[in-house]
Amino acid sequence: MFCEKAIELIRELQRMSDGQLPAFNEDGLRQVLQEMEALYEQNQSDVNEAKSEGRAELIPSIKLRHCCLLRNQRCIRPSLRIRALRWEYGSVLPPNIRFHMCAEELQWFGQYKKSLASFMRSLGGEEGLDITQDMKPPKSLYIEVRCLKDHGEFEIDDGTVILLKKNSQHFLPRWKCEQLIRQGVLEHVVS
Amino acid sequence: MFISDIRKEFYEVVANQRVALLVSSDIDALCACKILQALFHCDQVQYTLVPVTGWQDLGTAFLEHKEQFRYFVLINCGANVDLLEMLQPDDDSIFFICDTHRPVDVVNVYNDTQIKLLIKQDDDLGVPSYDDIFRDEEDEGDDSGNESDGGSEPSGKRRRFDEGAVERRIERQRERREWEARRREILFDYEQYEYHGTSAAMMFFELAWVLTKDTKDMLWWAIIGLTDQWVHDKITHMKYVTDIATMQRHVSRHNHRNEDEENSLSIDCMRISFEYDLRLTLYQHWTLYESICNSCYTSCSFKLWTLNGQKKLQEFLADMGLPLKQVRQKFNSMDMTIKENLRDVIEESSNKYGMKDIRIQTFGVHFGFKNRFLASDMVHATAALLESTEKDESDSDNFIKALDSLSRSNLDRLHSGIELAKKKLIAIQQTVASCICTNLILSQGPFLYCYLMEGTPDVKLFSKPMALTLLCKYLLKAFVHSTRNKRCKLLPLIMAAPKDVEKGTVIVVGIPPESETSDKKNFFGRAFEKASESTSSRTLHDNFDTSIIELKTEDRSKFLDALITLLS
Repeated sequence: MFCEKAIELIRELQRMSDGQLPAFNEDGLRQVLQEMEALYEQNQSDVNEAKSEGRAELIPSIKLRHCCLLRNQRCIRPSLRIRALRWEYGSVLPPNIRFHMCAEELQWFGQYKKSLASFMRSLGGEEGLDITQDMKPPKSLYIEVRCLKDHGEFEIDDGTVILLKKNSQHFLPRWKCEQLIRQGVLEHVVS
Repeated sequence: MFISDIRKEFYEVVANQRVALLVSSDIDALCACKILQALFHCDQVQYTLVPVTGWQDLGTAFLEHKEQFRYFVLINCGANVDLLEMLQPDDDSIFFICDTHRPVDVVNVYNDTQIKLLIKQDDDLGVPSYDDIFRDEEDEGDDSGNESDGGSEPSGKRRRFDEGAVERRIERQRERREWEARRREILFDYEQYEYHGTSAAMMFFELAWVLTKDTKDMLWWAIIGLTDQWVHDKITHMKYVTDIATMQRHVSRHNHRNEDEENSLSIDCMRISFEYDLRLTLYQHWTLYESICNSCYTSCSFKLWTLNGQKKLQEFLADMGLPLKQVRQKFNSMDMTIKENLRDVIEESSNKYGMKDIRIQTFGVHFGFKNRFLASDMVHATAALLESTEKDESDSDNFIKALDSLSRSNLDRLHSGIELAKKKLIAIQQTVASCICTNLILSQGPFLYCYLMEGTPDVKLFSKPMALTLLCKYLLKAFVHSTRNKRCKLLPLIMAAPKDVEKGTVIVVGIPPESETSDKKNFFGRAFEKASESTSSRTLHDNFDTSIIELKTEDRSKFLDALITLLS
């Protein structure tokens, strides 16, 4: 049936666990592209025939092929694989992921990065707003965190230094704490 | 110096700054801390919270944070000692102290620049006036100048002149000696007795009220702080009743605001209500029988450590018409008909058995269908968590757990606290019973003395100051009820229990004598200090309450002897 190869590519993507990328399946992609070309040519000839000879019964088959073409197109879009990576990993991709991307994908990624950055700069006044920090809009600027282990001194934006000792609690700007929360040094206290 | 306008002189000063909160380990301090944290969250004041358990901890915390912070808020620590001398801060550090410990050290009162006391000026203080204690040093120069002149050239006229000067000098010296003697006396009287003032949580609640940012949660914490002072016997009954009246005004103000006919509150909202409830500890979360057996008031009145007492208890229950099966059931599962008039029925019967004050004014909170707590329940639960003796848990771990249990969203922690509190109460009652039955309380002349041996069951629980103090008070009450010796009933009690087996130390606690009209003033702080000095015993006066010290086990006997001599 049509579009089977495209579906297989998607299944492959899904089979990999989160955060990893399967190797760039160049063969698979070429097959899908070939199928698309074949469909397109068939469609072209049918359209010409339909127009010149007025055979309306060809129209459903043209429609079907058109749908398959569109579907294939959607399935092989690079953004499927790569766009989410920007949000997950930030602007520098780890090498093991890069290894699995082909040159065009890397180029596409670079362009996506650029357009996202210019969008963020255009928001929120002069400095721009880093929307990759939070998935949902945060409820407050400052959060209360509790220190789970001794981490020593920690500097925040205005230069002040905080001593992170076990079991001390602090009320700090949210963005500064996110990294330490991810590392497990701080714990967000929800009361 | 005392702060008169807490909003302008404290809150607005720290509102745009970063603040370090140094909080002592007692329930009142925890509640005050919660209220202040809530206010700071509201206004996005950045702070760092550090728990401290004693003077050494306070010093360490200060040293660690003094580079980064200029403003320090001390809760329930720091007022009764010369703070500047102890911490040696830089000139630009400012301390805001909200402490219930009295007497406030005179240096703290009269320092205008670095120490700000968040205490009401008329809060039962009796601070000596400035001139009585501090004197300018200018007179010294005159005296010494005259002295050096006087000795060198004794010519005739000079001598007569000198005689006048000598007389004046002698007069001045005599005056000075008198002044110093008076000063010593005044200071001695002022600092002799240690007691407690208004709850810190109530102070901060008032701040919230002045800022009109008070919420029901904050009101509940303030009530818990006040109840902690009552449960641990830190304030007199009169003061408790007065403060309850103050809180009652706030409670009615909050309740009045919300409930009217059109929009009644959902069952999940928090409701605080005034209760004239029974003095049976934790009875709504336990069985009625257990609660009666393990509450200090009832246990001492019935003398439940004797066989006679047990019989009386059975009579009491029969008198009220409560079947044993019901009474031994969990309170929540008791028959509704019994629960309905329980308080009145118990009050009536207790009057017959000589317990006139079985009911006490307090507050209760109610949110959701299942969650009802009295303020004293919360105090016991949080205290049990704060002093839990599980292994691998440091003091600051316990502090954090106890702090968490005060939030409404951490109910499972609260329930675990209630279970721990039950165990603690049972342990206290059993220890009291065994001490009385084996006559472990000895009269040493000016005071009673009891020592818990190392092998005593649950003795680990009593290595913590609050638990040991509670045990001490219950034991004294029980002793007063059980002894026939009239003189012994008026004596204070000192108790010692092993604190750290490896280091070989004991914790020693002294409490004032038990009486109906006691003003809860404790003189053991000074007494311990003097006794320790005179015998050069190895003691550690680390606790913020000066009547609780740590002592090396070997020095116990000479320390006691010194105390006996001192106090007789």
